[in-house]
Amino acid sequence: MTDIRILLVDDEPDIREVVDVSLGLDREFATRACASGADALVTAAEWSPSLILLDVMMPLMDGPTTLANLRKNPRTAHIPVVFLTARTQASEVEQYISLGAQGVLSKPFDPMTLAASVRSYLPPVAASHAP
Amino acid sequence: MMSTKLIKAILLIEDNPGDVRLLQEMFSDHGAHNTKLAHVDCMSAAEKYLAEGAVDIILLDPGLPDAQGLGSIRRAHAAAPGVPLVVLTCLDDETVAEQALQEGAQDYLIKGQIDVRGILRALRHATERKRLERLKDEFVSTVSHELRTPLTSITGSLGLLMGNAAGNLSDPVRRLVAIAHTNSQRLVRLVNDILDIEKMEAGQVAFNFSRVEVRPLVAQAIEANRGFAEGYGVRVRLEDADTAADVRADPDRLLQVITNLLSNAIKFSPAENEVVVAVEKGPDMVRLTVRDHGPGIPLDFRPLIFEKFAQADAGDARQKGGTGLGLSIVKQIVDRLGGEVGFADAPAGGTIFHVQLPCWDHVAGLAIDRDAKPGAPRLLLCEDDLDTALTLREQLRQVSFATDFAYSVGDALTRAAATQYHAILVDIHLPDGDGVSLIVRLREMPQYHDTPIVVVSGDTSRGRDDSRSSKLNVLDWLNKPVDFDRLVRLLAKPIVQKANRRPRILHVDEDNAVARALSDIGDVVTVNSIEEALLALKASDFDLAVLDVALVKGAGPELLPELRDSSGDLIPVVVFSADGAHLAADAQAQAALAKSHTSIDSLVATVRDRLASRPANVSKEVV
Repeated sequence: MTDIRILLVDDEPDIREVVDVSLGLDREFATRACASGADALVTAAEWSPSLILLDVMMPLMDGPTTLANLRKNPRTAHIPVVFLTARTQASEVEQYISLGAQGVLSKPFDPMTLAASVRSYLPPVAASHAP
Repeated sequence: MMSTKLIKAILLIEDNPGDVRLLQEMFSDHGAHNTKLAHVDCMSAAEKYLAEGAVDIILLDPGLPDAQGLGSIRRAHAAAPGVPLVVLTCLDDETVAEQALQEGAQDYLIKGQIDVRGILRALRHATERKRLERLKDEFVSTVSHELRTPLTSITGSLGLLMGNAAGNLSDPVRRLVAIAHTNSQRLVRLVNDILDIEKMEAGQVAFNFSRVEVRPLVAQAIEANRGFAEGYGVRVRLEDADTAADVRADPDRLLQVITNLLSNAIKFSPAENEVVVAVEKGPDMVRLTVRDHGPGIPLDFRPLIFEKFAQADAGDARQKGGTGLGLSIVKQIVDRLGGEVGFADAPAGGTIFHVQLPCWDHVAGLAIDRDAKPGAPRLLLCEDDLDTALTLREQLRQVSFATDFAYSVGDALTRAAATQYHAILVDIHLPDGDGVSLIVRLREMPQYHDTPIVVVSGDTSRGRDDSRSSKLNVLDWLNKPVDFDRLVRLLAKPIVQKANRRPRILHVDEDNAVARALSDIGDVVTVNSIEEALLALKASDFDLAVLDVALVKGAGPELLPELRDSSGDLIPVVVFSADGAHLAADAQAQAALAKSHTSIDSLVATVRDRLASRPANVSKEVV
């Protein structure tokens, strides 16, 4: 059985660790974490994750720019992206969706239900691996 | 010599010429040459001035011809939220002064008791106060965002521990982790509340109004707070009701109101008690009540209850885990929803909080302007804020327009299809789409191809930058608050002039008596042949043609489709002939009169009647 690959992009090491453990509660998830948008572009192209969980406010390359760059590369253009962000005003959510994100999850998040929330954004094929 | 480093441009809003002169003389006598004192005498002129010019500070007499009291303070504040405001009050009017400060003014001056030094002192003080307010707002917003990042790690880690994600915890460890977990969540709520209230006070929260059924929303809030209520040993019950209660509201914000009222009621209820929520539908308003069996609200706290960081006693915040912001947020939201919030002692102890919101039916009923003068040109205003819409309707009524409302893109398209509007005003921000998309779709409807459309929005740049906008033939982009004079000028050009100018009549006949009679009601061009008629139509537009088919050679039914104006649209025709009956069936022929039975007077009456029913619209239509 193939794992469902989730790529997490966040510049905060503590948040990367908490998200990693939270997603690990779903045994089918395999998570990799990147600390920057630039890393994410490389890893996404090589590893082909099922979904990318992307922070918004990051130094150098922020979330929306990372998303735009992912869309430009044919190897990563199709990968669903969900923002995980502290900025979740309605207008901001609208803006992220218009950029082509599949969804927005807010920080702080409930670690016990994060994996289920992420699963709901998976494309039907990947989600069909549900236990 | 005065030094006025900070203050270079003052805008004086004052309608009393004596007071204006006095202030101008004070400034010039004291050599405050670097300070420019501009003057306007009404609020609409002030709004225009503030939209264009850089102003360091506003001096406002709140009693103006077009705005009074707190209303004028609010409008000045809305027109220039970042500019400090000093209010000029009359002697012994301390209430106005106090309210002015609460409404966002930084200081006040009492007329008759001022000299230029005093004014400059007040202006400097106000400028500095405004600067500090701005710093505070920025600080709060930054800190709140910065706090969320570590809080995400803390609540996340504690949540995982509590969920046994790192193995089972022993009881003493679990108790300590639970304390940390609960308090980290409380901190998250506090940060959220602070952000919310700052954003709302700064007017940065966009409300998305739609039709909302209240009871399911209450059920959702009760479900979301079940765990919280169980923690206090309190049950929450929604009273049954037969009728659905629909309001016009932003569902997310209304949910926040209900949640805050519920969480208060739960926190202050003794264990083993019940909180009862009821939703009642009245003729205009829906009333939501939340009843608790708590200790009631102390008398001296009642006037402060909706203030920020208000807690009945200092120990409460710690004991009850509240932020002191919940009710303040409730009040802010309910105000924006056009509703009312209040409280009363419950009959057998405890407190009943109530929120009243406008019924959907009531608001929907307001959409059609039924009180306008008969025959007034009808406008469609696409705007989701009811207060703004009602204010604009009232203003437009003064200048003889009827204004219907559309609260959403969907609404607007339905209304526009059902009624031919003379002009359409569009807000860029609508709950189910953006104004530019709406205009694109309106322009696709043939009857609105040329109709004047004006954008009226809080942020017109958002629509103007839209790549589609250049092709949409938008008459103008007006920022809120609306410069009403400019709006009226825009609307008057294509509509009123068209309605008021003398109609142009093309008279195809040889009968001079008819031509003379017609010239009483319009400008008449008389031609004797079909060739001349067609040439005249090429040269200029006519509102109507009068045609004698018997006397003019070649005139017959086949001619009617030739009678078009310069844009190719058919013009209405009154057929006047010895025997016009055979043309009467044609849609373009408005009336077919038989000459032998018709006096000139009744011909003129018929023409007048047809002209009166023509649409007062720039786009010509087949009637």
